[in-house]
Amino acid sequence: MALKALDIYKLLPKKNCKECGDPTCLTFAMKLASGKADIDLCPYLDESAKSVLGATTRPPIRLIKLGVGERSFSVGEEFVLYRHDKTFYHPPGILFKVFDTQSSEEITQVTKRVRDEVFTRVGTDLRFNGIAIENSSGTVEAFARAVATVEENADLPLVLISKDLEAFNAALIQVGSYRPLIHSATKENFREMCALAKKHSCPLVVKANGLDNLIGLVKSCGEEGVKKMVMDLCPQSLGDYLSLSTAVRQLAITRAVPDLGYPVFFDATHPNLQDAAIALGIVKYASVIITPPLSEESAKAAHTLRQNIYTDPQKPIQMNPGLYRVGIPGKDAPVLMTVNFSLTFFTLEGYLESSKIPCFLLIVDTEGLSVLTAVAAGKLNETLVRDSLKKFEVEREVSHKKLIIPGYASPLSGRIEEATGWKVLVGPRDAAEIGEYLHEEWNKLKK
Amino acid sequence: MGYDLKFGWTGTVGRITLGATVAEGGTRKTSYQIGGGTTLPFLDNNLSSSMPLVALEICDNPEYWSPIIRRFCGDLVNSADDWAKTAETAYGADLIRLYLTSTRQRNFSDISSVGKTVESVLSKTGLPLIIEGSNEPRIDSEIFQKCGESGEGEKLLLGTAEASRYRSIAAAALAYNHSLIAQSPIDVNLAKQLNILLKEIGVQRDHIIIDPYTGALGYGFEYSYSAIERIRFSALKGDSDLAMPIICSAIDSLNIKEVREADQARQDEMAVQWEFYTGIAAAVAGAEIICVRHPKTIGMLKSAFASINKKIDLTGVK
Ligand code: B12
Ligand code: SF4
Repeated sequence: MALKALDIYKLLPKKNCKECGDPTCLTFAMKLASGKADIDLCPYLDESAKSVLGATTRPPIRLIKLGVGERSFSVGEEFVLYRHDKTFYHPPGILFKVFDTQSSEEITQVTKRVRDEVFTRVGTDLRFNGIAIENSSGTVEAFARAVATVEENADLPLVLISKDLEAFNAALIQVGSYRPLIHSATKENFREMCALAKKHSCPLVVKANGLDNLIGLVKSCGEEGVKKMVMDLCPQSLGDYLSLSTAVRQLAITRAVPDLGYPVFFDATHPNLQDAAIALGIVKYASVIITPPLSEESAKAAHTLRQNIYTDPQKPIQMNPGLYRVGIPGKDAPVLMTVNFSLTFFTLEGYLESSKIPCFLLIVDTEGLSVLTAVAAGKLNETLVRDSLKKFEVEREVSHKKLIIPGYASPLSGRIEEATGWKVLVGPRDAAEIGEYLHEEWNKLKK
Repeated sequence: MGYDLKFGWTGTVGRITLGATVAEGGTRKTSYQIGGGTTLPFLDNNLSSSMPLVALEICDNPEYWSPIIRRFCGDLVNSADDWAKTAETAYGADLIRLYLTSTRQRNFSDISSVGKTVESVLSKTGLPLIIEGSNEPRIDSEIFQKCGESGEGEKLLLGTAEASRYRSIAAAALAYNHSLIAQSPIDVNLAKQLNILLKEIGVQRDHIIIDPYTGALGYGFEYSYSAIERIRFSALKGDSDLAMPIICSAIDSLNIKEVREADQARQDEMAVQWEFYTGIAAAVAGAEIICVRHPKTIGMLKSAFASINKKIDLTGVK
């Protein structure tokens, strides 16, 4: 079914005008062939080319951007049901929900939290992604006021939730140009909601009970000219969500039902089951998750699960091998060796920083494997250590030839000594003990 | 339009029985049949036993246990049998997983005490029991033998067989008709190899549970998650050497930095959330038994599983 780049190229206008964002029609064709672009990006395609290319070239799940500016994020453009088949590309946005019945202090507080809170893991800054504002008061004024409160405090992606067109109008006058996601078009109101979405070029949540109704509504909204959609599957239970989101993902990526090729919206507000809903949404195909503000503990666990599930299974997060410095080490500072798995590096670095002993950290290329894993796989060996010492010119930096290796690499200590001519000291297994070890052992050695 | 969530799979995850009631020749109040899945977890429409079970991990020498649990459980940690009983009556566990940490003391040789511990735990709780034997190859044979014997008739689950040491545990399982846990380091092929080794020495498929090794959330869990999914698919695709239920225990969860360094007053909550998020994800990927160490995680997981297990009637979706 998929077309080759050249076949696609033949159908393009060959103007090389760059308006699609690609330098030439050919590069655009290559993107289309791999499902990484949407034909709508080329304004000069004629109808017949459009109908040929149509559903076969665009990504099976459309890429939808929420918000503008630094904190904006995109979701969709996923290709697989299981991460081990390739990888998951676009982590779900998790947005905190506020109600327009809350005081502006409360709303401000949540907004500032999402604006400022950062959880740094493995060198990556993890944040929540935006604010969802619900028109629970039912009044236009309260909604407009709540939206204004959020807007005054931060430039964050927003989801606006209401059943009232007037309320949307009042809110969108203030924030329409920031492309909030508006929730939602239903079979009753979709014409008006589509008009609103088009007027402000906002992405639109399309909400229907049951897949057939959803498909019908997506079609109708498409006919109204709306292209940026996100789907609310109306689950009644977590089980419902799991079945529906799995079905939608499967039908979309196989292109069996191209109309389901949009990201999924999931409201995780389930009394007592909020964390379960978030965990489920993260692993099972949600792209926009809204939830009441999470406790610190839930927040960290949710961030970490999202980070884990959305790393490429083929490529661990890695550091560039090399000689790193902690503090300002002198010629007599210790040299510690470790692997280039990011998690290992950042764990170790954290403890080294708190030990307050300046040192050198030699990171060797174990292709992103942790210490134990690299030892078990034979990736960490004496030749690698010898070559790395040479390559990164460690001898020029220090006046001694002593190398501290991880406790888990102790079986290699003799061989490393032989291969490198350096004296090998076996450090502790757990990085938490590195400070104590350096204070005692290294200082003893220096004397 | 109806839609098919079976994806054309032909295989079935094998069933295994844990625990034996009086009628079944044991003394347990309940026994479980796990496995039997024919599609992705929770998507089977008419399966009574597809809810994952939650096991509380306890031990007989708390010296080796997380200080968080020692603080939370108080004196209970000093008597495995009362701890097990509380797990059943107050914490709501489905299963008990007893680690014989007492055997980790240097030169441990008091094998008979192990038998007594197993018997007293069995007598104080009516839940099926998982037993983790020694960590020391030298005493494996005697320890597993003793566990097997002390739990004869109870359909225990014995742990943990690995490629480098599986004979003693297999011998005990075979002699006393228990099941065993087969663990391999996060790799479908290694899991399969170990199951074949076990098959060759006579352990039946319906007596094996796969432990794919679970890295803690943030510390390798993503690999475990995918390993679980892949084992499940292999089973569904018809590979009988991988068609066993899966057990998951992210043992290191309570030692990781985020939990260890949490504010003392909030440490329990951090531990619980870490176990909880891991448990949900592992169950959705395909684990039939989720092991936890914090009692408060149990109830949360069970109510979440109940909600995830509540399915729409797919035929009704029009
Ligand atoms: C995730 C994981 C994997 C992932 C790889 C992850 C990665 N990027 O490395 C995958 C699934 C690919 C994997 C594969 C394998 N794995 Co593996 N894996 C793990 C697991 C669960 C976690 C590893 C981890 O991330 N640790 C966290 C990092 C931060 O730890 P670390 O690098 O050791 O760093 C710590 C210390 O070493 C110390 N430290 C680090 N640097 C330094 C430096 C100095 C100077 C000092 C003092 C200290 C220090 O500080 C850190 C924090 O304390 C471990 C089990 C475990 N709990 O360790 C098994 C484990 C390491 N794997 C194991 C095995 C056998 C394998 C395989 C050989 C099996 C196979 N499938 O074929 C393969 C080998 C890889 C290959 N052939 O490609 C075994 C090793 C057995 C042994 N004792 O030798 C383990 C222990 C599991 C087990 N119990 O069987 N694995
Ligand atoms: S916009 Fe269309 S015509 Fe212009 S370069 Fe891109 S593909 Fe070619």
